[in-house]
Amino acid sequence: MPTMTYLQAISDGLREEMRDDERVFCMGEDIGVFGGAFKVTDGFIDEFGPDRVMDTPLAESGIVGTAVGAAVVGLRPVCEMQFSDFISCGFDQLVNVAGKMHYRQGLAVPITVRLPTGGGFSGGPFHSQNPEAWFMHSPGIKIVAPATPEDAKGLLISAIRDPNPVLFCEHKHLYRRIKGDVEAGAYATPMRARVARDGDDLVVITYGAMVHTALEATEELEGVRVLDLRSLVPLDEEAILDSVRACAKVVVVDEANELCAAGAQVAALIAERGFEDLDGPVVRVATPNVPIPFSPPLEQAVLPSVDRVKEACVELLAY
Amino acid sequence: MPQMGVSVAEGTVAEWRKQPGDRVEADEPICVISTDKIDTDVPAPASGVLVEILVPEGETVDVGTVLARIEVEGSEALGVGRWALEDGTDAKPNGGKRYSPVVARMAAQHDLDLEAIKGTGRQGRVTKKDVLAFLEHADEAPMHIESPYRPEPEPQSPTPKAQSPKPGALSRMRRSIGEHMKRSLETAATCTTWIEADMSRIEAGREQLGLTALPLVARCAIAALREHPQLNAWLEGEAYTVHDAVHLGIAVSLGDEGLIVPVIHDAQELSAEGLGRRIKDAAKRARSGELRPDEVRGGTFTITNPGQYGSIMATPVINQPQVAILDLEAVVKRPVVIDDAIAIRPMTIFGLSWDHRALDGVLAAQFLASLRRHVEAWDGG
Repeated sequence: MPTMTYLQAISDGLREEMRDDERVFCMGEDIGVFGGAFKVTDGFIDEFGPDRVMDTPLAESGIVGTAVGAAVVGLRPVCEMQFSDFISCGFDQLVNVAGKMHYRQGLAVPITVRLPTGGGFSGGPFHSQNPEAWFMHSPGIKIVAPATPEDAKGLLISAIRDPNPVLFCEHKHLYRRIKGDVEAGAYATPMRARVARDGDDLVVITYGAMVHTALEATEELEGVRVLDLRSLVPLDEEAILDSVRACAKVVVVDEANELCAAGAQVAALIAERGFEDLDGPVVRVATPNVPIPFSPPLEQAVLPSVDRVKEACVELLAY
Repeated sequence: MPQMGVSVAEGTVAEWRKQPGDRVEADEPICVISTDKIDTDVPAPASGVLVEILVPEGETVDVGTVLARIEVEGSEALGVGRWALEDGTDAKPNGGKRYSPVVARMAAQHDLDLEAIKGTGRQGRVTKKDVLAFLEHADEAPMHIESPYRPEPEPQSPTPKAQSPKPGALSRMRRSIGEHMKRSLETAATCTTWIEADMSRIEAGREQLGLTALPLVARCAIAALREHPQLNAWLEGEAYTVHDAVHLGIAVSLGDEGLIVPVIHDAQELSAEGLGRRIKDAAKRARSGELRPDEVRGGTFTITNPGQYGSIMATPVINQPQVAILDLEAVVKRPVVIDDAIAIRPMTIFGLSWDHRALDGVLAAQFLASLRRHVEAWDGG
């Protein structure tokens, strides 16, 4: 089984799908000749040609809108937002057009929008955000957020094959930092949670880059489970409640701003349906409701750190 | 000197916990007041600095006397922990503990008495793990001699020492117990009568209710007292007073310190569960020195239960001015003859010490027979 970085696994998944299914094509800013800002589509234009690897103007609304039209007539577009932060310019096309097309007109919109998300590298307030919760609130859009190379490839393939609009949150800080074994060939990973490490005294529920923060934070603690959500919409409620039943204590970690984040929904679910299994308060660790600072020490201060997650776990274990 | 109970007019300062110049926080104990056998912490009414002690240790003063002066500072921020409810709210009005949802649910499912489980969480909280460990332990095979009188959990905070006794001198509590006991033996014509009883139904009942046997037997004793009210009485000189209400004293061992008898007032109105809860609460507070003086007064009948160590008979001393005391000892599996067959039954011996000045042996025997009838016919109380 080949070893790949998270970034290589995304490229590999996209390439597999483009080879297997000629309806699949890519659109985005600088993804063709330049190979993408992060080089996910490096070399794609040579293999698939400019008709399937399309450079677009700096116009996210146009990218998403074009993709919606292409999807409605039977293609499988994969759009790249250069940074997930820029999706705000495509918000209307995504939320009001793509998300509601099936409800209004009965038409499937099988688009995938790749969102390079997250901070940790001094990118500042416009290049470090985790916008997934904006779209969790909007019906009709699926959202996945892999933490490992294996899941990055499998979930991208699932996203492309899904008949709904799917946001694919790929964390920039994992691109070249995280490596892992990745199965060759095409495979689809289900949009369900996975137990990243087992334990039954406390569960840390998180997704994306924070899975690695949680694993590192709890490495020396005994009995701590780490649940990697992998998919935010649909949210794997049974896996969450299973973990609450087993562990009784819960820490929810979001890299996103705390207010109304994905973790807030997880905490609400547990309060409503896991109440009788709780042996302590549900504790959240997230980025406070501030823009992400440019300054490296300030950025490190606001993002959930290994120490903060560990401290929350130690405190809750002792509760 | 705070009013420690409606019937208390004076109190003795047993110990100052703080000295002039010390910082005190509101509700922090600043001194210990002793009335009769009860020691009570007096909480500081405000935060500040203790500037003056007006009543020295050992002095007895009337209720309302100023004990000390605290200089109050300007208002200060209260430290609020991550879980404010757990921090600094030990003095809950009902003295109740908080349990997490999962612990409460497991207790209901398994019929557990959470007070009997030692908590290892923050501030002694009973955690899910504690319940699981308790359940695992509960599955172990019973010992040959199985006493239903479970010892109460250890008090979480060490019992405040009343006074450090001088070398060779008895503590104030021991002296007080000694005086009471000697006076009782000198006053009463004490006799003891025993009866043997089959505890099968009590054992089954207590498991069902998740209680110790004590409240169930107490419930039976109260029923027997209602049939023989002459035993629920006081004899003071020549004045013999039979009581309608049963104010039930329960002897609680304080370990090395001695013994105290909190009184469950109007015990005839309580079910076995209610009695169990009240006894547990009283025992717990007795051990942490939190009983109010009113709670050890007015008893009309007393139960003592040292059986948890396996002893089978005793001759208890009557708690004056009451006329009888019931002694519960170990429950031991014994071969007994039932319908000319030999069966193994959990048996116990009830002992009743009674005052021959107030009654005769036949009444004591009738009471014990009635108690045995209720015990052997236990059907949920």
